[in-house]
This record gives sequence, C-alpha cells and structure tokens, in this order.
Amino acid sequence: MPYHEFECSTCIPERKKHAVIKGPGEDLTSALPEGYLNTIPGSITERGCAYCGAKHVIGTPMKDVIHLSHGPVGCTYDTWQTKRYISDNDNFQLKYTYASDMKEKHIVFGAEKMLKQNIIEAFKAFPEIKRMTLYQTCASALIGDDINAVAQEVMDEMPEVDIFVCNSPGFRGPSQSGGHHTINIAWIKDKVGTIEPKITGDYVINYVGEYNIQGDEVIMQDYFKRMGIQVLSTFTGNGSYDDLRAMHGAHLNVLECARSAEYICNELRVRYGIPRLDIDGFGFEPLAQSLRKVGLFFGIEDRAQKIIEEETARWKPELDWYKERLMGKKVCLWPGGSKLWHWAHVIHEEMGLDVVSVYTKFGHQQDMEKGIARCEEGALAIDDPNELESVEAMLKLKPDIIFTGKRPGEVAKKIRVPYLNAHAYHNGPYKGYEGWVRFARDIYNAIYSPIHQLSFLDISKDEIPTNQGFATQQMLSDTTLPEEVVSSREMRQYTGNYDCIPDYLNKTYPYMQKTPASEN
Amino acid sequence: MSCEVMNKERVGVINPIFTCQPCGAQFASIGIKDCIGLVHGGQGCVMFVRLLFSQHFKESFELASTSVHEEGAVFGALNRVETGVDVLLMRYPHLKVIPIISTCSTEIIGDDIDGVVIKLNEGLLQEKYADREVHLIPIHSPSFVGSMVSGYDVAVHDFVKYFSKKDKPNLKINLITGWVNPGDVTALKHLLAEMQIDATVLFEIENFDSPVMPDGNHVSHGNTTIEDLIGTADAQGTIALNRYEGGKAAKFLQKRWDVPAIIGPTPIGIRNTDTFLQNLKTMTGKPIPESLVRERGLAIDALTDLTHLFLADKKVAIYGNADLVIGLAEFCLDLEMKPMVLLLGDDNSAYKDDPRIKALQENVDYDMQIIMNADFWELENRIKNEGLELDLILGHSKGRFISIDYNIPMLRVGFPTYDRAGLHRYPVVGYAGATWLAEQMANTLFADMEYKKNKEWILNVW
Repeated sequence: MPYHEFECSTCIPERKKHAVIKGPGEDLTSALPEGYLNTIPGSITERGCAYCGAKHVIGTPMKDVIHLSHGPVGCTYDTWQTKRYISDNDNFQLKYTYASDMKEKHIVFGAEKMLKQNIIEAFKAFPEIKRMTLYQTCASALIGDDINAVAQEVMDEMPEVDIFVCNSPGFRGPSQSGGHHTINIAWIKDKVGTIEPKITGDYVINYVGEYNIQGDEVIMQDYFKRMGIQVLSTFTGNGSYDDLRAMHGAHLNVLECARSAEYICNELRVRYGIPRLDIDGFGFEPLAQSLRKVGLFFGIEDRAQKIIEEETARWKPELDWYKERLMGKKVCLWPGGSKLWHWAHVIHEEMGLDVVSVYTKFGHQQDMEKGIARCEEGALAIDDPNELESVEAMLKLKPDIIFTGKRPGEVAKKIRVPYLNAHAYHNGPYKGYEGWVRFARDIYNAIYSPIHQLSFLDISKDEIPTNQGFATQQMLSDTTLPEEVVSSREMRQYTGNYDCIPDYLNKTYPYMQKTPASEN
Repeated sequence: MSCEVMNKERVGVINPIFTCQPCGAQFASIGIKDCIGLVHGGQGCVMFVRLLFSQHFKESFELASTSVHEEGAVFGALNRVETGVDVLLMRYPHLKVIPIISTCSTEIIGDDIDGVVIKLNEGLLQEKYADREVHLIPIHSPSFVGSMVSGYDVAVHDFVKYFSKKDKPNLKINLITGWVNPGDVTALKHLLAEMQIDATVLFEIENFDSPVMPDGNHVSHGNTTIEDLIGTADAQGTIALNRYEGGKAAKFLQKRWDVPAIIGPTPIGIRNTDTFLQNLKTMTGKPIPESLVRERGLAIDALTDLTHLFLADKKVAIYGNADLVIGLAEFCLDLEMKPMVLLLGDDNSAYKDDPRIKALQENVDYDMQIIMNADFWELENRIKNEGLELDLILGHSKGRFISIDYNIPMLRVGFPTYDRAGLHRYPVVGYAGATWLAEQMANTLFADMEYKKNKEWILNVW
C-alpha cells in the first residue's frame, strides 16, 4: 500500500503521507494515511472549524432550544440554513438562530454584560422556549468572557430556564472534529443526570450520533418503536433538550456516527454503566444486523426479525432494480467522516458500486482504517483533501459519480462528474430500508441523467445524432442489460412518496405500553 | 403620516440579515483575475463563505485559509501567513495577487499582517519568486466591525489603493458596481456599450457564471486584471453605483489621483437609471443614443401594464444591503407601491445621513419605518405581534421562513438567493432590471392570488 504523491502536491512533501493506494492483497499494516493533523496553510482545504463541529453538527439539531452564539454575527449566519436537519416541531432549530453580535467596543471592554442582555432578550422573544445553548466563538474565547458565569447568573434569576454552555472556539483543533468532542464531553458533564427520565417502556435506549438529516431519525425510530423500544433521547437530531438531560436513564446506548458521538457513549458507560452498541442504519444487511443486535440485547430478536422480513420484502425488489443498473459504476466516496466506512462496503455489496476512492475531511486514522478495510483494491484514500488534489484525483480516476459536499460538488460538475450530497443528501432520508432505496434511486438518476450524457458532446467536433429528440434514464441504463432483467416482474423502481416522513410520523405502535409490573 | 428612522432596540441579533466583514473582502477578491484570497483566521471563516458563494452562484470559488489553531491563537500565527503565501504560490503558478484578509481572531491577537507582508516582500518573494509578479495586499476586515457590506467596501478600496498609479490620462471611466450579480454587470456593460463609453468595471464578474465545457475543468473566477486596477488612476472619472459598496474607493481615487467621482444612485428603476445615464453623459460628454430611448420606452411600456391595475398600494417590506434596499424602495414608490418597512442590516452610522433616506423622511405620505442595525426579528415581530400587514416581501433567501410561515409572497432579490434557480443571471439594474423586477413582482403576486383564491379571476381578461 504505497503512499500516493499527487503531482499538484510534490512541493508540499508532508502531504505525501496523507494519501495511500490500497494494493492487491494488502491490508492496513502496509500503510495508513496520516490523519487529524493540522492543515497546511494555503492548501485550500475543505475543513471547517471546531465551532462548526460543536454548534452546527451536533448542537443545533436539538430542536427545542435557543441556539445563541457569543461572538460577531458571521459565525451564526454561516451556520444557519446550511444543513437539512429537520424536526417534528416545525423545524424551530432550522428557522431561528441567535448571535450576541459582538462589536469592537465589546472586544475592548468585555461582552459579558451584553451577553446577559442577549439571553434575556432571546427568551423574551420566544416565551414558549425555556432552554438555551450558548456557543463560544474565536472572539469570545480570546477576550476571555466567562460565559458559564453569565449563564449561571441568568439561571439563578430565571429558575424556569436552563442553559447549556459549549466552549468550542473555531481555532480549537485541526478541524470540526475537535468541536464534536468538546460538546459531547460538556453535555455529559454539565447536563446529563440533571433531570429524571420518564420511562414508559420496558426497553429503553438513547439513540446517539444521529442528526435526522432529511428525516433519518424518524425512519429509524419507526423500527425501534415497532420493537417496543422507548427511544429516551436522540443525540441530537430531532432531539429534545430535556430528554437529553435524562440520558442516564437508558438501558443501552445505540450509536450511529461513532466519529462525532462515541465520546458521550463512552462516558455514559463509565459514569452510568450503560453499554454502547454500535449500529448502522445505512444498507439492508448492516441495518438488519443492527436490529438483530438490539433485539438480542433485550431478548426480543423475534420482533427484530419480523421487521427485517417485512421491510426486506417491501423494499428489496426496489433496491435490486437499481443494483442491476448500478453494477460496476465507479464512485468517489468523499464525505466528512463516518460515512466513509458506513458506506464503503455496503454500496458495493448492495448496489454493485465500486469505490475507487475514499477521503475524509475531519475523520481520524481509525475512520481511515475502517474505510480502507472496506473499500475496493486499488482505491485511493485521501486524508484532509484539498482542491487541487481532488481535481487531480477525479481526472485520473474518472468516477461515474461522487458523493461529497455541496461546494466540491460544483467542482465535480465542471469535470462532468455527477455528484450527490453526502452530508445533506439529495432526496433523503437515506437511512432505513426505504431510505436506502431512495439513495439508490438518487444515484441512478444522477448517473443516467440525459443532460449529463449531453455534457460529453462537443458540438464543434463530434458527430451529433439528428434523429433523437429525447432520452430517458432507462434508454441509457437498460441497453446492455440482459432481457430477463429488463423485463423482470419482481424488480421495480422506487414507489414511495416525494416526502416519505409524514407517513412514519403518523403511525401507531403495538408494543409501546410499558408492561405492568405484575406481568414482569 | 411619516417616515420614521429608528434603530433596533435589542442588543443581540435574532436571525441575521448580514454576515461579517471577511465575507465581503472575499467577495471582492474573487472578482480579480489570478487572485486567491488568503483568509487569516480559523478555517470556518473560509469554508462557510465558499459554501455561501456556491449556494448563491451554484459554482465553486477558490479561497484559502491560514488555518489558525490554538498555538497560533496563543503565540501569534504570522508564520501561517508566510507558509500560506508560499504554498499558494508554489501550487498555483498563475497566481499574482494574494490579499491577506484578517478576521476577528487574528485582529484580537494582534497579528501584524502589514508587517508580515513587508517581511515576505523582502524575504520569500525576493529569494524564491524573484521572477514572478506577486502582490500581497493586507486587508483588515475584523468581523466585529461593520458587516459584509463594509468588508466589501474596505477591500475594493484597498485593492484600488494598492494598484492605482497615474500614467497617461485616458478616456475611460471607472465603473464600481458594488455587490451585484453577473446579470447586473452584463446589463451595465450593455448601457455603456450603447453610450460608446469605454469603462473599467470593478469587478468583471460575468464569468462567475461559468459553463460545463467539453474540455474539462473550468473554475469560476472574476476577470478584472491588475492592469485594470492600475489604470483606475488615469480614468476621466469614477462612477460608484453604490454608496456603501465601493464608494470608499471612488473617494480615494478622487482624493489621491484627482479622478472626479460620482457616487450613486443605485440604478434601480427607471428614474435612477435615467440619472445614471445623465451622469455618464456629464462625465464623458457622450450623448444618450436613440437605442436607449427605445429601451427605456420598452420598460415604461411594460411597467404601465402593471402599475395601477396590480401594483398600486401593495404593501412591501424590503431588507438587505442598504443601497439595494433604498434603490428598491425608490422604485416601488414610482410603481405606486407602499414600502412599509425597510431593514438595513448593519450599524453603519452613515445611513441616517444618506440624502435618499432624508428624502424619504421628507416626502413619504404614509407610515413608513426604516430600521437601522436590523435583524429578521424586527420584521417577523412586527408581522407576528404588532399587526403589520404586507402584500409582498423583497429580499434575499435567508428571510425565506418569514414568507413561508406568514403566507406572504416574496420575490428573492439581493445576496444570497440560493432558494430560487438562476437569479444571479438576471439584472435588477438598468431598464432591463426595472422590467424584470416589476414583472417578477407582479408574477409573484399573481401566483399568490391564485394559491389563496384572492381575486384570481381578475386575470381572466388581462
């Protein structure tokens, strides 16, 4: 597994250890790219900051909270309306954001007084909201404002409110990952255990590291509820502040994104003895295994098995329709952190895609370990990629599609590589059985887009067909497929609604009553 | 009946209309050819601004960060500027201009970006890049001062100040557009071409809208050259369309190089476009040609179809960059509409002395409010709790939930407009912009009438 040197990066030799190619028969002992080191200035990295990792990734999906950043207005503006974590309370956390609006005079004379005024104003504007998270920024960290003291002062004066403080300035650590850690630890330290849990079921979990992107959490909750499991809290997508204060009451922590939230699970184990179970909501088989594991833990494997069978019967014919048409297509799997390994193996197994490259913006070496172990031979693995390296990789690898962020997706467009949004999704949710079919559908639509096909023509040089007025995706995807696949009556395209979430929210569940004590 | 000018009374911001200065400096820097801005601060200050630009334009732009971390925050981070400049120059061989854009963190720790530029000029650039033309320009844009609007104004000024140099006077004019879209630049250049006026446009951003081409990678970038910027000192005059976005550079050129400046008005609407053309005529002696008389006629014709029948008395709220908001308000008044609330985002104390605002205060014959240092809560609270009734909202996408939650139709105007397709391709300035704005406002109202079944039948016989 030799290190891969990008031509564009020969002048910055320290980059050489950040990329490897997985050779035939090689495993991780041959080489592993460096990870989670400071970025080289001026390299045009895609990384963000620790404030963003704390506030934007983990803090803000909490739905019933005033999210107030103590600093100049930009940090707040930037982390507002740039993600798709929805909630079942009319998306309060998406719609409203708060900045203390620090100005020059506050830098000079301190901003604690105005922060207090800010907090009171915000609660006054939204009298129905009694919870707040305060985020430190570079500016408030550097001037040394004691945000915790201000928060305590307000809580003493307004006993009906509760305030959480997250001290994660942008400059803390190489990437947003530092912020994930900080907010995890601050939450368990300051908030968990401060409210008594309301236990209504026999089997109680915290669902951790799940951010409800386009409704992922809702679709996964459906399975838990069908198994009769009470989801005491979700950390943090669609999660409620007070529910998360009661995390200590769960029997099990079910962890989805280990990159961003394993810290709190580990602490919950140490402090409260709650075991951690890593699961995976992406892909039929990983999801089935996950549900079985959860079922096994509580001794309700039969319930898990029933869901797996029902869901597989409902959705497998649709997934297979896409798998037949995606077989052998090349993917650059370029997400932020954990999707690198959540997706690498399973998109190959279940959709037939070949992963030709993985990268991670803020992942650590253990994310790369898992990702490289699960991707195809010959794949190029890149840590902390930068603009020129990404372009060089795409030109060399000629992928059929790339899964990445919004802005790198615009770069890919110009190289005529279709992109799907790996962070916010195109038309998600992508978790759960139905979600996984939606993901396959989006990949299919992107790869077989008739407009994408037209982008390869040069009308000044190429022979242009003059007898074709249109193309459909299937005219492009089905030409080389065997007849029995094309005419299969078992397989079908996705049959769900544009927005599938309301149907999940409106369901009722048979096992949700806590068993009376006498029956135990 | 009066026009009241007030300040937001709350100290904090609930849903910001604006972002901070470094964003404005970055927006200016992407307008220059062979230029990549190096933002001295945390990585988020660049990553999110790049995301914002890519949301608005559906394109990617190159901007770099010095990636300041803890040790830099404690011990100073100028070494990261030095490395950043070197890495950019090594890896981007065409690169000539690197503005070094400060942020709140690096201003607070007191990093001397002017000093490091001198050091680099005397050291690294001499030793390693002696055969290359490289310009390092420190731009101070602390986030705790002003807003993205003043950041843009400062950066345009700093670029012009750095490059402008007197050689031989020429017959060109400088046109400083302010924070506009590619569609606006196309419309402005069209007016100049009709007048046969040769102009240096700051900035040439039509290529922000870049194609997917058969031969590979095309990076969206502005096209204003170093020569363009040097030549601004030789022009026969400067017109800065926006007082707060480029006005500072126009004043500099007048003071330093005796290039006469006309600042404003923002050519939104027929009347302000007329003024713009008159100013061009005065400055260059070139007549206004028949073709523009005809173009103006087409616009008047289009507006006449809409004003009394549909637009009259419609109550509007407008928010965004101050020059844009004022220009839109003036145009709405000409269209017989009633701008009820104008929200000007930042705390620039000069707004209250703006003659256009004074004119509104003196002449508006109904209750209008102009709110300085405003946020979106100033608008939402008036609608939700104070009975403000509106027929239309004009502003950028960040205010979309007010329109959605209170069922008020909204036309996206300004920056950013990421929740509507392709708006950066259409002008709001000039006669073409006047027509586009009025027709889009009307179509927005029509769709709302049909959706709400509110006299939707009136369109049967239009």
